[in-house]
Amino acid sequence: MEKITVKIKRFDGRESYYQKYEVPYEKGKTILWLLTMIREEQDPTLNFTSACRHAICGSCAVQINGNAFLACNTSLDEVLDTYKTMNLTFEPLKNFDVIKDLVIVWEPKMEKMEKVKPWIIPSEKGSNEHGFLQSEEEFHQIAAPTDCILCGVCASECNQLAVNQEGYLEPFILNRAYRYIVDSRDGSPQDHLQPVLENDLWKCLHCMQCVSQCPKSIPLTDQIAYLRSSTMQMGAVNNQGAKHAYAFHDDVKNKGRLNETMLPIKTDGLVQTALTKIPFALRMIKKGKINPLHMPKQISGIHEVRRLYEYAEEVKS
Amino acid sequence: MTLTYAFFPGCTLESAAEELMISTKKVAAVLGIELIELDGWTCCGASHIQDIDGFLSTSINARNIALAEELGVSKLITVCNTCTLMLRTAKLKMDKNENLKEKVNVGLERTGLEYKGTVEVTHLLWALLEDYGLENLKKKVKVPLKGLKVANFYGCHILMPPDVMGFENHRNPQSMEMVAEALGAECVEFDQRLACCGFHAVFPAQKEVMTMTGINCLSPKEAGADCIVTPCPLCQMQLDAYQPDAQKGFDQDITMPIIHLPQLIGLALGISPEELAIDRHVVDAIPALQRKIQAV
Ligand code: SF4
Ligand code: SF4
Ligand code: FES
Repeated sequence: MEKITVKIKRFDGRESYYQKYEVPYEKGKTILWLLTMIREEQDPTLNFTSACRHAICGSCAVQINGNAFLACNTSLDEVLDTYKTMNLTFEPLKNFDVIKDLVIVWEPKMEKMEKVKPWIIPSEKGSNEHGFLQSEEEFHQIAAPTDCILCGVCASECNQLAVNQEGYLEPFILNRAYRYIVDSRDGSPQDHLQPVLENDLWKCLHCMQCVSQCPKSIPLTDQIAYLRSSTMQMGAVNNQGAKHAYAFHDDVKNKGRLNETMLPIKTDGLVQTALTKIPFALRMIKKGKINPLHMPKQISGIHEVRRLYEYAEEVKS
Repeated sequence: MTLTYAFFPGCTLESAAEELMISTKKVAAVLGIELIELDGWTCCGASHIQDIDGFLSTSINARNIALAEELGVSKLITVCNTCTLMLRTAKLKMDKNENLKEKVNVGLERTGLEYKGTVEVTHLLWALLEDYGLENLKKKVKVPLKGLKVANFYGCHILMPPDVMGFENHRNPQSMEMVAEALGAECVEFDQRLACCGFHAVFPAQKEVMTMTGINCLSPKEAGADCIVTPCPLCQMQLDAYQPDAQKGFDQDITMPIIHLPQLIGLALGISPEELAIDRHVVDAIPALQRKIQAV
């Protein structure tokens, strides 16, 4: 009979090590089935969490062969097919502290989440007597973000978090902030938004990992774009991230294409660029990669492009 | 056989990554692929403009795609991951949402264009597998890259999000390996194969991105690679041009040459490194290539 070789990263509170198990292959099972088989039939000391088995409680996410999956709604066959192997390596989610084996610590994340005030700050539109009525459209605004089951998959895959655990907010925290910012009952969106901005909002790398792996298909990167837009509408335009985005936005309007030579200056300002980017600029010039004398010409059709900008403004208002 | 594509070069090909323009055109000519550059294409927004205005981002890319539709070709080709993602994102949004498409077209009408949705957006890597065919590519190989150990660095935006890109499984893609092996090269396994280069936040997250760059160079180096190959000029720029800055944060030597996919293909087609403008890289790739490939 075909066997699956499973290596699991164990942690006993002091040391971690990999332990190997062999499980007879069965068709049509889930990842959670595999873990449960090991615990029930081979090793009762193996620790992992699960409860609902229906992608609701969010407790069963693990890393398999380098990527995060929700164990209960992930097909074993699909994983074997993805990695073209019968060897699976299980690890706890990345970017979390580990309690034991595959069990991770959530408390610090919940404390971090408090930064964005994850609760409704009631607006004056509602009252105890009349409640807070929402239109269907208003409700739909919060429908997708409230699907989050706090499984941690997005945080495990987040490339910014991997190098900046202290400073950056987990994608599910950004989702939570978004959820209150767009809630029609909330009267103080800036109170959720300001901490988002202050906690490295512009450091998101656009890597798309979070949105690609979220088991609830929450549009996390669209939300990040929305959060960034909102901070700029709030007036926070004088930071590297916003200035960088505006450099692209304005170059396309003016010429149609990006002026790479001016990009650092537009993003960082002349002084900062002179202080930090000179060696970079010199090596780029030496290789002919930037030519300070070359200014991009206007593209043919630039007037038409500007009409699209005008139209986008009309659409907004 | 001649394949004809509308060609969207993207901004970097006009300046920092001009070598990718040069090598793409050389390789296309040898393979018999006709590239018709769009007249009046704009920047795709490079994953930044949607942070200011999502509708505008969709509109400018609808215009880019509409320019391709006017050429009467079936596919618009790029050689940049992020351009591909931006164009495909705009396309998918409009194709899924008739209202949005109509709204965008009201604007495009003022420019004399219309987005119809008849052109597919592809990347050279995909086109080689899907349209050109590996067997045909193999037939064109003059200098098999035997002994050259390449580290394939995909970059995020050619894979994710899968509902927009979806050419192959984003958790274990094989297209780069298939092409590299067809050229005779040996692919090394390394941890950072599907890592993020960090380019899109290199200004606001400079410190973090330099750490990532160091790790991204060190991982293939430790796996014995002669060079990294990437299908994205932004990954290339991040890993190559910023490598000296990244080095400062590392005690170990992280030196790793980084070449573009069309340059790798060009070498196997018998085109010289100079003609492929490999001498334009910050980290000199030519010695490592010379050591391994005869005829270079
Ligand atoms: S897109 Fe941004 S938030 Fe999402 S995983 Fe990447 S860095 Fe993290
Ligand atoms: S956003 Fe998605 S991946 Fe992240 S915790 Fe919520 S459900 Fe899980
Ligand atoms: S067991 Fe509840 S989400 Fe998997």
